[in-house]
Amino acid sequence: MERSKMIADITDIFHDVLDDDSLVITSATKASDIDDWDSLTHIELIIGIEKHFKIRFNASEINNWANVGEMCNAIDLLLKA
Amino acid sequence: MTLGDQFETRFEVTEQVYRGFMEIFADRNPLHTDEAFAREHGFSGKVMYGNILNGFVSYFVGECLPVKNVAIQHQQIKFGTPVYLHDSLVMHSHLAEVYDTVNAYLFKFYFQNTAGVKVARGEVRIGLLS
Repeated sequence: MERSKMIADITDIFHDVLDDDSLVITSATKASDIDDWDSLTHIELIIGIEKHFKIRFNASEINNWANVGEMCNAIDLLLKA
Repeated sequence: MTLGDQFETRFEVTEQVYRGFMEIFADRNPLHTDEAFAREHGFSGKVMYGNILNGFVSYFVGECLPVKNVAIQHQQIKFGTPVYLHDSLVMHSHLAEVYDTVNAYLFKFYFQNTAGVKVARGEVRIGLLS
């Protein structure tokens, strides 16, 4: 999947979960950039992303991504598996 | 807990539950406290606070599941039909989704009265505490 398409899909999920259509998500976006991206929001993002891409992350990795780009790398690996 | 697990939990909207809710939250809107007002607006009597049902959901999560290390993460309910004082309700719920990655479980539920009417429905997602 093209990275731009993946970011666009993830952006939609962020908008839905955070109820904020003004959020701009890039590969460099990290949790500290978004006020409402707390631990509960993270759970909802993971659930939304897993459902959308029909993948299942490893529980040990979901708190280790430095930014959205690393999250995309993980999605990419799972989509290619 | 396994996907598809089903639960039935019985509740009654007792005077104690009704009064307790009113006293604690101090919501004395006439729809809930004035029999005549409620009838004038087409109801059969004082309409019970919808959020009493949210309290029943809390009881279900806290007391009826086979695990105690749980916290509610999300809850949503739609109220379709009024509930009245002394109504007996059955909460039908089932485990609809399991999110292993984040140790979360989504239950879908509905409340049914003794006439067989679904008075409310919704979902609650719980997370297992580490």
